[in-house]
Amino acid sequence: MEQLSNSLARTPLNSVVVKRRSKTKSFRQSYRSCLGLTPALTARRLSKSRKAPKSHYITEKVNPEHLALLLKSEWKLSYVTPLYQFRHTQLKSYSRQLSAFIAAEKQQGFAVEVDGSQSNFRVSFSVVQGMTETEDDAETVLIQIHSKPLFAKQSEAQRSVWSGWLTCVNGNSDYLCSLPKDFICLPLFGSSGSEVLTTLVQSWFQKMFDCCFGPLEMNNTCLQWLAALWTNCHPESSIQHLKMIWTLPVVPPLQITYTVNPKDAWKLWSSVRKDPCEENKEEEGVSIDIEDVMRFMQGLKSHFYRHFRLDLSAGCLKQVSTALGSATFSGRVKISNSQYILSTLTLLTECALFKMPV
Amino acid sequence: MAAKLNVSESSESDSPNLSNLSACSRTGSRSLRVAEKERRKNGAEEPFVLALKYFSNVEAGTPVIGNDEFERNMVLVEQVAYFKGLSPEAISVMLEFAMSSRMGTNPCVRVLKCLIPTTMVPQEAVVRGVAWLGVGKIPISSQVLFIKWVLTIFDMIDAKDQLRAIYGFIFSFVTEESLCPFICHLLYLLTRKESVRVFRVRKLLDLQSKLGRQPFLSHLLSLYKVLCPELVTLSIPSRMRSGFRNHNSPWKSALIAVQKSNGSQTDSSTSLPLTIKEKTSLRKRKHKHLELPVLSSQVNKQPQTEPFTSRKVVPLAQLHSLSQLLENMHCIELPAQMGSLLGSSLALQYLDCVQDESALLRLNFWLGYALNEEFFFCGDGGGSQTSEEALQFLDKLLSSQQFLQEGFSSTEAFLYKFLSVWDGSLFRPQILSLLSNIPVVPNSQIGQLLFEPLMQLFFTSSLFFRCGLMECLNNMLLKWLTWHSVYALEDDLDISLNSHTSINMTLSGFKDSVMELIHFAGRLGSVGLQLEGCHSLLLSFILDFYETVCDTFLKYGLPLVVMPPPGVFYPALFAPDPVSVDRLVNIMYRYKVNLTSAKSKEKVTEQAFHISRQTFREFNHYIVVMVNCLWNSKMFQPDMGIQLGEELLLKSNIPEYWASFDLVHHPAFLSYAVDFHQRVSADHLDGHDLCLAEICMKDPAFCNPQYLICAPLNETFCKACAHFQRHLIYQHAASLYSSVNRLTGETNVVLMYLSWKMH
Repeated sequence: MEQLSNSLARTPLNSVVVKRRSKTKSFRQSYRSCLGLTPALTARRLSKSRKAPKSHYITEKVNPEHLALLLKSEWKLSYVTPLYQFRHTQLKSYSRQLSAFIAAEKQQGFAVEVDGSQSNFRVSFSVVQGMTETEDDAETVLIQIHSKPLFAKQSEAQRSVWSGWLTCVNGNSDYLCSLPKDFICLPLFGSSGSEVLTTLVQSWFQKMFDCCFGPLEMNNTCLQWLAALWTNCHPESSIQHLKMIWTLPVVPPLQITYTVNPKDAWKLWSSVRKDPCEENKEEEGVSIDIEDVMRFMQGLKSHFYRHFRLDLSAGCLKQVSTALGSATFSGRVKISNSQYILSTLTLLTECALFKMPV
Repeated sequence: MAAKLNVSESSESDSPNLSNLSACSRTGSRSLRVAEKERRKNGAEEPFVLALKYFSNVEAGTPVIGNDEFERNMVLVEQVAYFKGLSPEAISVMLEFAMSSRMGTNPCVRVLKCLIPTTMVPQEAVVRGVAWLGVGKIPISSQVLFIKWVLTIFDMIDAKDQLRAIYGFIFSFVTEESLCPFICHLLYLLTRKESVRVFRVRKLLDLQSKLGRQPFLSHLLSLYKVLCPELVTLSIPSRMRSGFRNHNSPWKSALIAVQKSNGSQTDSSTSLPLTIKEKTSLRKRKHKHLELPVLSSQVNKQPQTEPFTSRKVVPLAQLHSLSQLLENMHCIELPAQMGSLLGSSLALQYLDCVQDESALLRLNFWLGYALNEEFFFCGDGGGSQTSEEALQFLDKLLSSQQFLQEGFSSTEAFLYKFLSVWDGSLFRPQILSLLSNIPVVPNSQIGQLLFEPLMQLFFTSSLFFRCGLMECLNNMLLKWLTWHSVYALEDDLDISLNSHTSINMTLSGFKDSVMELIHFAGRLGSVGLQLEGCHSLLLSFILDFYETVCDTFLKYGLPLVVMPPPGVFYPALFAPDPVSVDRLVNIMYRYKVNLTSAKSKEKVTEQAFHISRQTFREFNHYIVVMVNCLWNSKMFQPDMGIQLGEELLLKSNIPEYWASFDLVHHPAFLSYAVDFHQRVSADHLDGHDLCLAEICMKDPAFCNPQYLICAPLNETFCKACAHFQRHLIYQHAASLYSSVNRLTGETNVVLMYLSWKMH
């Protein structure tokens, strides 16, 4: 119960101030204008600079089981518009509803009782405590679906067939605060398991919380950020390699796998970095600028050009992987190291918020 | 019971007689045949009452076979029933007789078959009938027949509250296998939210597992799902038939016939409300984001503090008409997915009424998501295959916005982004209409969000885009001004709507935005007219815009007057078509009315608003130019806006150039002059006509074939030539011939010219 109350407190507070119209001539902007509603047009950009990932002692904050699950698989990412009337206190009921929904969808035209236990699918919702970074972030929710294989023996236990999560780490607080209190913003959705189940879970969420799911592909900037952020961690935990896959728009299409020795990558990275020993290093941590990232990538590209006479700027970065994790253009992400999970998720949350329609 | 019925019957049997009599006396002049018929009918009434009496009083156990009295009375009732239907009382009596099986089960079917109501069916009778089902004396086939009858006349039952009260009793028959489909149907018609209970759901699911996927069970369960989604869930495949099978009941045709002959239009539609929407296209789409969600009730309810005293709510999906909406206005529950509102005008009406911020935001999230996915994120979707859906979607969005008379904020946000990547031709009409719906943009952002991208598009697009954009700006301005006049009024009344989502905008801020918009349109107009060579179509759209602008003060109460720029004023003044000049003059007149009334108001109220001196100066200047040009024949005065060098004007060889644009010589009025010439005979050509001919001859501005459109004109020319000839002004005639010849190449002119030369 304590857990529940805690998560309730995490629910972003409503910061919309109710103003009464003054008696003097004041002109109300149409209430449907987007300019007043959310800082949709100006505030949400990918930030130009971010703090270097610190090795969080996340293992102390987060349930290790949950953490292991998050690190275990590769996640297909989507963005989600804010959930209407989602409550962290209702997870049990959501589990029942979703399992009944899946059962009903699996056998079209057959009604299913929501409280029935006959379902072949067992769904569990749980809160992953400790993933939040700011007051406005809502707690991460983990969804697991267990099922028995079709021709399983009676005694065989149900095993996990699908898992997914919704999270918000370091979300733009202006945006989060602009939402009315009925909405919970968990903009980043990761799923792993069969596509069919993913679609079912998404459509259940859509019906239940009136939200929308869209694929979150990762653009060049995002992938470059990841490459730089991971490289930056090298001294603390080895990245082992920095592998990038580029595609070049030639006929026939050319795919280039570019693997960099970790030491070389680190050397290049430290050379392009501005002097890291700045005054505010102690209190704020090291911050990385987009210029650093661009210089780093430029260095990598020009090195490649020197050897192969191919300018990678003409191509498109499709995948980045290191020992700390990997990410692809199509929105598949694997995070292998728990220490840097939050900084990666911060970046991904930003990307997801960037896609919000309003 | 019987006694009571008798009393009511006698009173009933009296009153129609009276009314019939009075009807007869009133319509004395009607044909005899009709009167005869009436009389016969009245005569038939008596035995009918006796027959009813017989059926209500007959002893239980009376034999049927060989019972002449029964036969006679039965035939009588059947005759009346098929001829004009049975009154509510008669229905009660006969139904009671049939269901009680007082004379065995045989007459039951016969009676049921003739139970055709004239107007309505008393609820008590139906309830009693249902009660008899429980006694179990009636064979199943008759029971089925009875339920079928109830279903047929369901809409004619006067009230349903008692029937709903015995919902549980009716539900108990669901286990009866042959009754089940019909009972399900009846339950479907009676089900309210409070009748959906866990044990009933379990019972139905139990049946489902026994009987399999039966449509009647699925439909009832789907209604349960609509009402209580937290208890049951179901996914209906799109192939499934919608609604219950429309039972081909024996009463339907008789009922229609009776109603037709009575002339009453009791709407006894036996068709059912469809809960399952047939998918419009089964074609699979790669991206589903443009599909409107189905209107369905909310699963995820607010946790109620008092679960049992929770107020009654009606899901929007259950409402089918405006009157239903109005009845349930206080207890309507919004649908699970707000996107579904876009498809239903009823729901939009409700949305407009409640102005729920969260609901709007939900709708906006969905809408923005769909628009973004379609136009920005789905680069691979292949434009051509999805364009049909996108078009439909945009049209639906547009019609919703027009219905609400307001744009959605997500559309607005989408448009600002989309304008920077738009090519100006993709869905042009739709995008421009959407754009005209955007609310007032603050002065500080209007340039960056709106004007820059639009300016670029304007310069790089076709004439039609330019015209479309001018129309769009005009509509936008109209919306803004209307919005202003509405809210300005509202401010006086101090109606406090939920205004916490809005940024307050001051009057001066609003004025600035409007002014920016007008100036922007003026700039576009001036440049556009130059680029298009003063195209009259574009000019017409621009003048549309200024027709709105000139009336801002009087029509919309906005103390702002902005004059058109010279780039619009002069092309309109010198336009070759009379319509444009006329409209310009009218616009200037409206400006004058607005300015004078503003000035007088300023004097009276000494209000803070103030129309700048510059505006008056501009207006006066334009008026002077116009009067000088059209009336005083004083073109090219040094103080006018347009100046040409004296020697240049002389060089042009136009005599009296200062008069070229007065009312007589203005090219726009040429057609009127021509018209005039057609009316006067050739012999009466006077100086005016000569003057016209001369202009035509000398002024290169007329060397444009569009002024010399028709044969009558040539005729005029010929006449003018003849006139000159007669007066031996050969030089004039020669040059006129040649110029006409040059311009039109008309053969008769050439011939005349040749003949004159020879002469």
